[in-house]
Amino acid sequence: MPCGARSSRGRPVSSRSAGRATRRGIPPVSVSGTSTLVTHTGSWKYIWPVYHDRVAPCNRGCPVGIDIEGYLNLMREDRVADARRLLLAENPMPAVTGRVCHHPCESACNRGMFDAAVSIHAVERMLGDLALQEPLSDSVAPRRDERVAVVGSGPAGLSCAYHLSRFGYHVTVFEAASAPGGMLRQGIPEYRLPRAILDGEIERIRALGVEMRCGVRVGADLPWERVLADFDALFVASGAHASRALGVEGEDGTGVRPGLAFLREVNAGARPSVGRRVVVVGGGNTAMDCARSALRLGASVTVLYRRTRAEMPAIADEVEEADREGVAFAFLAAPVGFHVVHGTLRAVECERMALGEPDASGRRRPESTGERFTLLADTVLTAIGESPDLDALPPDLARRDSGVRVDPLGRTSRAAVFAGGDVTEAPRTVADALGAGKRAAVGIDRQLRARPREPRDADDLEALRFGGGNISALRWLGRDPVARVAPVNEVVTFEELNLNHFVKVARRRDTHARPERARATFDEVNRGLTREEAEEEARRCLNCGVCTHCDVCLIFCPDLAISRNGDGAYRIALDYCKGCGVCVAECPRGAIVMTREGP
Amino acid sequence: MRQVIVGNHAVSWGARLARVEVISAYPITPQTQVVEKLSEMCANGTLAARFIKVESEHSAMAACVGASAAGARAFTATSSHGLVFMHEMLHWAAGGRHPIVMANVNRALGPGWNIWTDQNDSLSQRDTGWVQLYCETNQEVLDTAIQAFKLAEAVDLPVMLVLDAFYLSHTAEPVDIPDQEMVDRFLPPRTARLKLDVNEPRAFGALVRPDSYMEMRWLQQEAMREVPHVLERIEADWLRMFGRRYGAIEGYRTEDAELLLVTSGTVTSTARFVVDRRRDEGEAIGLVKVKMFRPFPTAGLRRLLAGVARVAVLDRNVSPGHGGIFAEETRSALYDLPSGDRPEVYGYVLGLGGRDVTPSVIDEVIDRTRQCAQPEREDVWVGVNP
Amino acid sequence: MSQLLIRDEVPRDDLMTSGHLACPGCAAPLAMRLVLKGMGPRTIVVMPASCWSIIAGPWPQSSLQVPVYHTAFATGAALASGVRAALDVRGETDTAVMVWAGDGGTFDIGLQALSGAAERNEDLLYCCYDNEAYMNTGVQRSSATPWGAWTSTTPVPHPEASPKKDILAILAAHRIPYAATASVAYPVDLLAKVRRARAVRGTRFLHILAPCPPGWKSADEETIELARMAVQSRIFPLLEVEDGERWRLTVNHAAEAVEPYLRRQGRFRHLSEEQVARIQADVDARWGALMRRVDTGVLEV
Repeated sequence: MPCGARSSRGRPVSSRSAGRATRRGIPPVSVSGTSTLVTHTGSWKYIWPVYHDRVAPCNRGCPVGIDIEGYLNLMREDRVADARRLLLAENPMPAVTGRVCHHPCESACNRGMFDAAVSIHAVERMLGDLALQEPLSDSVAPRRDERVAVVGSGPAGLSCAYHLSRFGYHVTVFEAASAPGGMLRQGIPEYRLPRAILDGEIERIRALGVEMRCGVRVGADLPWERVLADFDALFVASGAHASRALGVEGEDGTGVRPGLAFLREVNAGARPSVGRRVVVVGGGNTAMDCARSALRLGASVTVLYRRTRAEMPAIADEVEEADREGVAFAFLAAPVGFHVVHGTLRAVECERMALGEPDASGRRRPESTGERFTLLADTVLTAIGESPDLDALPPDLARRDSGVRVDPLGRTSRAAVFAGGDVTEAPRTVADALGAGKRAAVGIDRQLRARPREPRDADDLEALRFGGGNISALRWLGRDPVARVAPVNEVVTFEELNLNHFVKVARRRDTHARPERARATFDEVNRGLTREEAEEEARRCLNCGVCTHCDVCLIFCPDLAISRNGDGAYRIALDYCKGCGVCVAECPRGAIVMTREGP
Repeated sequence: MRQVIVGNHAVSWGARLARVEVISAYPITPQTQVVEKLSEMCANGTLAARFIKVESEHSAMAACVGASAAGARAFTATSSHGLVFMHEMLHWAAGGRHPIVMANVNRALGPGWNIWTDQNDSLSQRDTGWVQLYCETNQEVLDTAIQAFKLAEAVDLPVMLVLDAFYLSHTAEPVDIPDQEMVDRFLPPRTARLKLDVNEPRAFGALVRPDSYMEMRWLQQEAMREVPHVLERIEADWLRMFGRRYGAIEGYRTEDAELLLVTSGTVTSTARFVVDRRRDEGEAIGLVKVKMFRPFPTAGLRRLLAGVARVAVLDRNVSPGHGGIFAEETRSALYDLPSGDRPEVYGYVLGLGGRDVTPSVIDEVIDRTRQCAQPEREDVWVGVNP
Repeated sequence: MSQLLIRDEVPRDDLMTSGHLACPGCAAPLAMRLVLKGMGPRTIVVMPASCWSIIAGPWPQSSLQVPVYHTAFATGAALASGVRAALDVRGETDTAVMVWAGDGGTFDIGLQALSGAAERNEDLLYCCYDNEAYMNTGVQRSSATPWGAWTSTTPVPHPEASPKKDILAILAAHRIPYAATASVAYPVDLLAKVRRARAVRGTRFLHILAPCPPGWKSADEETIELARMAVQSRIFPLLEVEDGERWRLTVNHAAEAVEPYLRRQGRFRHLSEEQVARIQADVDARWGALMRRVDTGVLEV
């Protein structure tokens, strides 16, 4: 600073002879000149959030392998047609499953721990019925040369045929009975599954170009080897139709019938006489079907089950409905003998059971107490399990438990022979059968395409599954119609949701015919929901793990680091994000996760 | 228009003629009439200002800072404890470069309570960065009040106008009250260069690191260096328009003086009387009145005091542990004069807490100064320590 | 629709930027962000010393896109009164003046200025974002610190021994036109209150609970959850008071117990069961007293 220098003007601005201060451009007071965007606070973080669409538990729980959350999401956006297409891409018969599936999706539904599970079956049923009423066109892959044989037209066989046809194959279905449907037609009564519905679903499959050859029993009318020679692959889905024996003397005698045989008769339209009192032995769906059918034939019915209601394997709704219709239940009781007088069954000798230690299935083992009682009965229907007739199958098929042994893609121990459904190991449900049919279709497609690179089974399969659940046909085809953000194949648990963002909404109840009227006919008992009700119910879906652009993350970010791109997707400005994790904690549906910095 | 008014009302008139826009003040003896008069002027519409009846002096200065930051011409008045309570915000006003004008009535600080005149209140604020102008008469008070706004707004520094308790604040003197129209020509409305403005949003006062803070304080210091020159021009304008001039310092009968008194405030008036009498008796004696204490008029004092044998500084204040404040600052200003030119500086602490400084007290000071070849090591407390 | 969609109730535009210096997970920038969305660009912010003095960024930066005056700790409401007077004298009556202070600058050192401004019914919005201690200087207690809390000046075994000062009652006693509590976990409620405040003249007061992860010793990501639990446990009810007389609850919940809220914060880790029970009893008693004051009308959630 030169000595004695002074300005002749009294201006306080820094642009004078102030030496270094002036050259650095520092003003006389602290006054801002820029925003804080120059400070990249993102350098503070050691973890940061990433959007990953993950898997809802309903998807993983579904044995069919349906993107349930996906179609519910589409319905939330009022895209009902797209929802139907997504559903039908995985499940050939939603009108059937919406009625008869044991809906493990609902058991898994996270909403169940908040207020009540979404009534997924009712939404699926509505979409299935809609698809029957107003069919939509759909694209099918170009026709291939290979031909596949499917033996058995139950849910497993029909599913396999459906998917293979959509993959482009010629499919021929061989069915021993005179009409297709397997257990769907023969085992499930009309009051649960109206024939028109079943016929409509099957017609859709036929319309794809699938050849149905009914009245042909492969292995008897047509040798297995012939089929193996004429076709490029074979899917065995002949089901399990042999009723397990009670092991009680007199069970082959008069008045005692296998439940499946009884149901076959009734479901074919007959109305056999069963007398005034019927006892049904067993606790599964077959037992319930027998009981309620017998009721409709005018009998009073008692179900005999060796454990308690809590251990019954039947679908809870079925047991409920049987109860409401007036079926009586005798728990902790098992038959030990039959009273036959003058060649006519009069009564069943029963023994009281008590529950002991858990057995292999995890349920407590029933043990005789020695106490006896007698139940009057004109007819006894046995429904304690079914098993397949493995001797009627192609030779050299390895077995496991009571069925054919298969790998995750339905392959048996014989080349080009696949199997699925009740003919394989348990669980024996409609949904598992549908899923098995799809898996085999994928397995067959993979085998017949003979990909140049030998796939690594485990990785390939994992990517196709919904979070470790069942395989998606769409993913196999390389398509994912519901746009997903960096999808990760992990299931979102209840604890990862933030339910503070939701209000409780009561679950819609299906409309039922009143029990006194329902029990008098074979008309459908459960009427389901209207379209509007089903659409509302679909909106109860929390969309676990899938971003719905609700902006909660964006609004709560203390650093304003989250914004939306032109295409609506979220963008995290990593230059500013401090990795606090508030977005992850607040995301209502667990669609964001924190990740650690890697090397 | 000529009126007989007390010093406090001279302040009020000054603020009114300067068309202050925001006043925020808290009453304290002996300042109360300043704000009462201003309240009356606002209430009867003769002054179109907002008057914020704040709940303390600290808040009064805060409100002035806020008003000034938003671009308005802001004013307050206080005294003694009120001033020192504002201390934090005095720094803020100066560091924020807000051209606020404040009148301080010099009054002693307690304990014990003392309402009479004393300079410790204003002088203890000498490091806050405010310009300080000490007045001798009510006319000077009114004139300086108006000039203070022009000065403050020219250099963007706050200005404190100081007047003695009771001797000026409550004493009526004839005062020439300038025409509003002429004052308007002298002092246009304030247009702030930088202010709080939603059309140009900025943040003021954010954290400043060591690498920049000094530069901002340097620029504040630079503005202080400008003050004497700006004040000189302002006084020249005032002289032209109103016929009066005071000067940052004033030498009175200093020609060939052997002894010069250094005074401030109303003590100056008494000292002029004694100087005149003694000159009549043939003594080569005069006085230097310091009006502008901050920035300290080093150059002016050196000019007037160099070569004078003895300088007696009259301090109506003391910095405990050191001495009279005008004396210590005067010594510092004269320190690097060549030793032949450097006067002996005799410091006298007197009149604290309103103790009367009469002509005989000043006589005592002069006599004592003549008798002692050297100043005492410590300032003499007149009437207290011999 | 099952989700309470806040998206459609929160304006898109922001008046602040990223790059501010708040700790990760701090509620203070979120509170400011939401309030500014409601206040709009014709707002001047007066900011006495608090965490936000640092959060705003050092010279020459500013995170805010409205004018700001950083001022001394005790002076928020007083300085703002000056700004208001200057704007009014120049006819700029549609520009709002807002004080943005912490609990220190409101409950303690700033209380005098606030009381003075409220008594004069100065036309300004006073927002206190309350993290319940002097956080900026290292977590020393304030009169907003709740009973039983650890702070660096109320360390265990002698944690805070005074109950939290009832600042809303104090402001209500000044009979100002509008006073309210708000929580960053309820952004729609907060915005509604900002809008209601902006629509009236005179002194308006907004007390916003702002959890502080370092000071409360809570996880960064739990800030919103804590701000929610404070409301749900009735420790921090969401209220409005008009003219000091008409009290109204704006969000009502079935009550949650206070213990889960307390146990998520390290500053309460040392509490015994008896102490927790005492806090619960106090909350219940205060709620009872509040209900006797409150109208039965509950505004939208």
